[in-house]
Amino acid sequence: MAIANVWTRWRSAGDPLRAFVVAVLWLLLALFVLYPLVELIGRALSDDSGFTLAPLTAAINSRSNLRAFANSLLLATLVGVCGTFFGFLFAFTVERTRAPRFWVRLLDVATLLPLISPPFTTSIAFVFSFGPRGFITHDLLGMNNASVYGLSSTLAAETLTYFPLAYMALRPMLAGIGGDLEEMAFSLGSSRWRVFRTVTLSLTVPGLANAFLLLFAASLADFATPLILAGNDFPVLPTEAYLQITGMFDLKGGAVLSLLLLVPAGIVYLLQHHVVGRRRYVTMTGKGRASASQNSVAPWAGAALMAFCLTAVLFILYLYALLLIASLVTSFGANHTLTLAHYRVIFTEGLPAIEDTLIIALIGMPIGGLYGVVVGYLVARTEFIGRPAMEIVTMLNYALPGTIVGIAYLIAFNQPPFLLTGTAAIIIACYVFRYSPTGIRTTVALLQQIDRSIEEASFSLGASSFMTFRRIMLPLIMPAFFAGLSVVFIRSMTAISATIFLVSINWTLITVRILENMTELSLGPAAAFSVFVILVVVVVTGVLNKVLRRLTAPGLRLPAVEG
Amino acid sequence: MIERGEPAGIRLEGVSATMRDRNRGEITAVRDVDLDVRPGELMTLLGPSGCGKTTTLRMIAGFQAPSGGRILIAERDVTHVPANQRDIGFVFQNYALFPHLTIFGNVAYGLQVRNNSAGEIERAVAEALELVGLAGFGERLPNELSGGQQQRVALARAIVIRPRVLLFDEPLSNLDAKLRVSMRGEIRRLQQALKITTVYVTHDQEEAMAISDRIAVMEAGRVVQLDSAEALYRRPASAFVAGFIGRANLLHAIVESVNADGAILDVGGQKITVPAQGAPGAPVSVVIRPESIAIVSTDTGLTGVVQSRTYLGDKIEYEVSFGGQMLNIVRFNPAEDEGHPPGTTISISIPSADVRLVD
Repeated sequence: MAIANVWTRWRSAGDPLRAFVVAVLWLLLALFVLYPLVELIGRALSDDSGFTLAPLTAAINSRSNLRAFANSLLLATLVGVCGTFFGFLFAFTVERTRAPRFWVRLLDVATLLPLISPPFTTSIAFVFSFGPRGFITHDLLGMNNASVYGLSSTLAAETLTYFPLAYMALRPMLAGIGGDLEEMAFSLGSSRWRVFRTVTLSLTVPGLANAFLLLFAASLADFATPLILAGNDFPVLPTEAYLQITGMFDLKGGAVLSLLLLVPAGIVYLLQHHVVGRRRYVTMTGKGRASASQNSVAPWAGAALMAFCLTAVLFILYLYALLLIASLVTSFGANHTLTLAHYRVIFTEGLPAIEDTLIIALIGMPIGGLYGVVVGYLVARTEFIGRPAMEIVTMLNYALPGTIVGIAYLIAFNQPPFLLTGTAAIIIACYVFRYSPTGIRTTVALLQQIDRSIEEASFSLGASSFMTFRRIMLPLIMPAFFAGLSVVFIRSMTAISATIFLVSINWTLITVRILENMTELSLGPAAAFSVFVILVVVVVTGVLNKVLRRLTAPGLRLPAVEG
Repeated sequence: MIERGEPAGIRLEGVSATMRDRNRGEITAVRDVDLDVRPGELMTLLGPSGCGKTTTLRMIAGFQAPSGGRILIAERDVTHVPANQRDIGFVFQNYALFPHLTIFGNVAYGLQVRNNSAGEIERAVAEALELVGLAGFGERLPNELSGGQQQRVALARAIVIRPRVLLFDEPLSNLDAKLRVSMRGEIRRLQQALKITTVYVTHDQEEAMAISDRIAVMEAGRVVQLDSAEALYRRPASAFVAGFIGRANLLHAIVESVNADGAILDVGGQKITVPAQGAPGAPVSVVIRPESIAIVSTDTGLTGVVQSRTYLGDKIEYEVSFGGQMLNIVRFNPAEDEGHPPGTTISISIPSADVRLVD
């Protein structure tokens, strides 16, 4: 009954246990979110004499840095536009045409793949397809020395990697625009095209803006794709910052460059929260809404849309097939003898990386899941001083580009009093504070659906606080906990942008090994590693889903949260 | 079901509730309320939204602590007893069914908390579901049921534990009109059969009149009148009560003279009598029910001009200007040739017994 007492006290206002938990959380947030940022800014904006803006102005005045900055913005804008366009077409096709159910499932699978893959899977497949020995460039077109590197392939790879985010954000939005609105416009004499322009598209504008910003931020922060595909002629900020640090051992220069990244990232964040956030038309009347009209697209247009989406899907599947084949042949493009040699390599030479990654992911997963649920509960259901501030601070590392977070950690934990460089703890901390916010937001969204009267009903029936928590609240929060677990695990397996600064001889990561393989041009092991990561992610998230389904009744539905 | 002893009474002594509101600061939702709910009685708290009726109910349940006063259930002071030890059944406006439990699981929950044996629970749940007409629904989930069915489950869940006190918080407001009427009959029938002391919160006066033994009309955090439905209707203590229970004409008048039978009032030159005393020359308000005014063919000295006439089948409603004020008159079961089109001057009679002086 000790736990029951603890739970009782936890619930009552201003109780010591909750105050203790809040205090511990603030300490952790101060150490792992605020302190590194302060250190980063301090390092970037100081010289021997103290605080100065000189490094920043010097960086801005450098031609090469300005070029990287402009390139980053150009790439992010193009990815935002193209990805939103793709995402909208996919969402519109699924929600508004008579696409057969099987095709829709195929679309869902193909859009899910990039989300659970290491970030540069698409890039590697691009090299296999369009590189000097690429399947299309070399084998089909007979080109020699085709160059895959540059803006266009980076743009294509990032668009394919990130458009599923736009698809996932836009699909519920389109579904939310009831068919009755479109039918109403029809009945007033509009043509289909006019209805699309004036009703459907107009109502989706906030969603489109949101999707654009989402992709803009993702592309701005993307480190792996440009590192592999951008080449020397198209430098962008995250890769420049990385090369500054690893190539020239100039930590301060890297810090300054990452600060340049902070400006557009900050602007996008503010836009998302203060402009788009307020303009949501989507009709939430509480009444059962009319199902989406399937009559709003002319049959020929529907067929064209489906053909377009199917082509894109086939292309994605083709890229993943290339990856699989490359991992199973001696040398892709030259010697197509089937072999398991690459897998032998990753399970011998690569074994330490696999072990390290799995250990880090498996330790970070429960910590991140628990952290997400606790913070989510505190933020959604309790009142304490500094609650809104905590809500913002917990989101910081999530919203910042990984390069900034990684360099900040590198600077902050490289010296006493917090010497963590070279440990697994620094990587785990990075993942927990960077990827748990999804769990937090899911918990908050879930708790907002659970009326307080549910708890009161349990009390009125004689249940104690602990009984109420165990039998009612715990099963209801469980889906959010598992969502948090999945996201932290997937990201721990696939992320690289922040943690590439944090690996060491003692602790390294699969994603870092893939990158090393790519630079050494040992493409086979890189492909094998990628396939392995995808398989592990699919298996683990599958198991998590199965366990969750066993634990909860079908009466619950998890609110959709991006990320 | 678990058998319980005699029904318990509920007493509120000077109960107040102050709450902190983010926008309005400190607000007093309930002021110094005294209530005495008799054992086995169904008492309704009736009033417009924001009058403090739900807050009062939540304090009886123990979801909210009063800022002053005492609450007694069966003569035991429960003011500081948590909700889970008060032995209550609560039916929420939004049903508050546990979404992850089946109907059986929902109804059984309170019994499982009380550590009853599995066989006993099964029997009691089956009986409770039978009582609310949902036998055989045990394996379904709440979201597979209609609103009316969900409310029945909430009812079964509350009564299966045989609480000493049953509390309803606007239980029918999410249902459609027809269902509301049949459900309120069902609630009344169950409450009578089980003899559970019940407090019922609603803003619907018809609902309150249909099911209550007594009604406490609340206004701005206070109980302004507590009586049976009939007494409230016939003898409203204030214009507010008169307007809230049924329809009422409120007339402003001046006391002209007083005699043994009562007072003679002047309404814009026309004289009506009221069986009450008053100081001559004082301004007063009186309430007259629309259906107690008769349209007559003889000269009564009281005349009005018809402003509008609405035919509603079983009745005709008139708006009549009378002494510079507006009077609603309802004529039930109208004769086929009953005319009085707008613009005609009519003679009316107002029985003095039906005129009531209010504050």
